[in-house]
Amino acid sequence: MSQANTTHSPRPAGREGAGKSDRANARAHIVLNAALAMLFVGLFAQSASLPSSMWEPLGAGSFPRLVLGALIVINLAIIVQEAKRYPRLAAPPRGLVRDWLWRHRLAMGVLALFALFSLAVPMLGFPLSALAFLLLVQILLGARRPRSLIIALVIAGVFSFGLDWLFRDVFVISLPRGPLG
Amino acid sequence: MMETLLSGVEQLFTLGTMVSMLLGVIAGVIAAAIPGFTITMAIVLTLPLTFTMAPLQGVATMLAVYVGGYSGGLISAALLGIPGTPSAVATTFDAFPMARSGQPGRALALGIWSSFFGALVSAVILIIAAPPLAMVAVKLGAWEYFSLIIFAMTVVASLVGKSMLKGLMTGLLGLFIATVGADPMMGVARFTFGSDLLADGFPFLVVLIGMFAVSQLLQEVEDAEQIKQGKRLINADVSFNPLTAMRETLAYPVNLLRSSLVGVFIGAVPGAGGSIANLLAYDQARRASPTPERFGTGTPEGVIASESGNSATSGGGLIPMIALGIPGSAVDAVLMASLMVHGIGVGPRLILDHGDLVYGMFTAMLVAAAMVLVVCLFSMRFFLRVTDIPRSIIVPVVLVCCVIGAFALNNRVTDIYLLLGVGVIGYVLSKLEYPLAPLVLGVILGPIAETNLRRALMTDEDWTLFFTRPISLILLVLAVVSVALAIRHRLRQRHAPAT
Repeated sequence: MSQANTTHSPRPAGREGAGKSDRANARAHIVLNAALAMLFVGLFAQSASLPSSMWEPLGAGSFPRLVLGALIVINLAIIVQEAKRYPRLAAPPRGLVRDWLWRHRLAMGVLALFALFSLAVPMLGFPLSALAFLLLVQILLGARRPRSLIIALVIAGVFSFGLDWLFRDVFVISLPRGPLG
Repeated sequence: MMETLLSGVEQLFTLGTMVSMLLGVIAGVIAAAIPGFTITMAIVLTLPLTFTMAPLQGVATMLAVYVGGYSGGLISAALLGIPGTPSAVATTFDAFPMARSGQPGRALALGIWSSFFGALVSAVILIIAAPPLAMVAVKLGAWEYFSLIIFAMTVVASLVGKSMLKGLMTGLLGLFIATVGADPMMGVARFTFGSDLLADGFPFLVVLIGMFAVSQLLQEVEDAEQIKQGKRLINADVSFNPLTAMRETLAYPVNLLRSSLVGVFIGAVPGAGGSIANLLAYDQARRASPTPERFGTGTPEGVIASESGNSATSGGGLIPMIALGIPGSAVDAVLMASLMVHGIGVGPRLILDHGDLVYGMFTAMLVAAAMVLVVCLFSMRFFLRVTDIPRSIIVPVVLVCCVIGAFALNNRVTDIYLLLGVGVIGYVLSKLEYPLAPLVLGVILGPIAETNLRRALMTDEDWTLFFTRPISLILLVLAVVSVALAIRHRLRQRHAPAT
C-alpha cells in the first residue's frame, strides 16, 4: 500500500551504497518474531489465570488463548522460513544500522518530537504543546529562512490555538488546557 | 402508498430542509476527510442542532451528514493514503497508488461517482425491499454472526501482500489487540497488567489512526532530499474531467452493482457496517476480476468497489431500523434518538404510523447522494490543492489532527499515548513489509467474533449448530470456497513465471 521508499542520503559516498540487505532483513524478521513468540507464550500462560464462567462453556481466556496459540505457531513458522533462507543470503555491509538511522533521521526526528508532544499534552495543554510541536517539526523539515519561519509560526498558531478554540467553542469538546486552563 | 410518498416528498422539498441538508453534506464530507474524525462523531455533533427542527428536517439533515461522511473518507484515503474514516480502509489500496502515479483527480472523481452510485443503489433497494431484507437480517443468530465474521476474515487472504504468513501474523495480532481490556461478556480485565492505559483496551479508531496515519506520515518524511526541495505529496497535474470519470465508473457495471449489494447487505446486518463492507466489496471485486494482480497498484476497479461498497451501507443500515426498530450501527442509533426526541417511536409500526416521514427519509437519501456528488465535484479542486502543500507543513498538521481525533473519541489522554505506541508499531511493521490492513481487520472483527462465538455456545453447547443451521452453513461454505480460491490464485501466480 505504502510506497517503498528509495531514499537518497546526502552523506559521503561510502555510506550511499549501504542499501537494504536481505540477510539483515531476515535477521530482523527472526529477532522480531522470536521476541513476539516469547511475549505471546507469556501472555498465553497469563490467560490461563483468567476466570471461567459457570454460565458459558468458554471463559474470558478461551478466545485469547486460541488467538495466541495460532500467533505462536505463525511466529515460529516465520522464524523457520527466514532461518532456512538466511545462509544463502548476502552478508550485510558494515555500519548498516548506522546508515539506516542516518537515512531515516528526519522520520526519527519527527517521531521523537511526536512522542514529546504526546507526553506534553496533559502537562502543557493542547494549544501550547501543539504550537511547539508544529513549529519544531517545520523547522526540522526545513523552515529556516525568515519567510519560512513566519509561515511556520502562522501555521503553528492556527493549528494549535485555532483548533483549540474551534473544538472548545464550536464543537464543545474541551481539549486538555494545561496551565492555560 | 403513492399518496404517502408524495406527502413525504412535499415535506422534504422545503427551502429550510434543503439548506440544512446542504450544510449537513458539507459538514459530513469535511469531518470524514480529517483522519480521526468518524461519521458517528459528526452525527453526534449534529444531533443537538436538529432538536429545534421539524422531525423530517432534522433526520434529513443527519442523513445528509451520514451520506456525506461516507464520501468524505475517500479524500484523505486517496490523497494522503490515510483512511479518513474506518470505512475507507480499502479505498487507500488503489486510490492512493493511483493518486501517487500522477492521477489524483481521476482517483477522487472515480471514488465520488462510485459513492454516488453506491448510495443510489442502496436508496432504491431501501425503498423496494426494506421489510423483506430486514426480516432476513434479524433472523441471523449468534451462529450466523460468527460464521459471517469467519467469511469476512477470509478477506485477509486478499490483503496479505507478498507473504501469506506475514499477513496471517498481522491479522491474528489484530484479533489479539482486540482482546486487551474488558472481556465483552463478563467484563473481566484481560492483559491490562493493572495499568489504566490498557484498562479500556485499544479503541479501534486509535489503532486505525496509529497504523495508517502515523506510520504513513513518518514514511512521507524519510527522504531528506525531497523534503529539502519542498517537494509536494503528489507532483502531478491535478486536472480531471468529471464526465470521463462517470463514464469510466459506469464501464464496470457488474463491479458497481455487486459492491453496492455487498454494502446494502452488510449495512442491513446489525453490528456490521461500512468498515467491513468496504473491505468485503474490494475483496469480491478482486476475486471476480480477470486481472486481480492489478489490484493494489491503482486500478479503477479497486476504487469503484471500495467506495460503492461503503456508501451503499448508508441505505442498508436504515433497513432494520425502519422495518424493525433495530439500529444497524452507532450512527443509526443516533438517527433513532433524533426521531425519539420528537416523540416518534421507531419500530415495526413506524412505516404504518408515519409513512410520510419514512418515505421522506428514503427521498432524503436520494437527495443527499445527489448533493454529495455536486458538492464533491465542485469542491474537488479545493481538496486537490492539498497536494500542493509541502510535506514539511502537511505532516505535522495531520499529526496534530490525529492527536485531536484520538483524544476526542473518549476524552482520554491515555488514548494519545496509545496512538503513539500503535504508530511506532505500525511504522516498524511497515518497514519490515508486514501488511497493516489485516491487523485493522482483526481489530474490527475480533470483538464481534468472540462475542458471537461465546453467545452461541452459551445458548447451546452443541457446536454442530454452526454447520446445521442453513444460513450459518452457507456462510461457512462460502468462507471455505473463498480461501480455496485465494490459495489456487496464489499457486497459479507462483507457477506463472516458470511456465
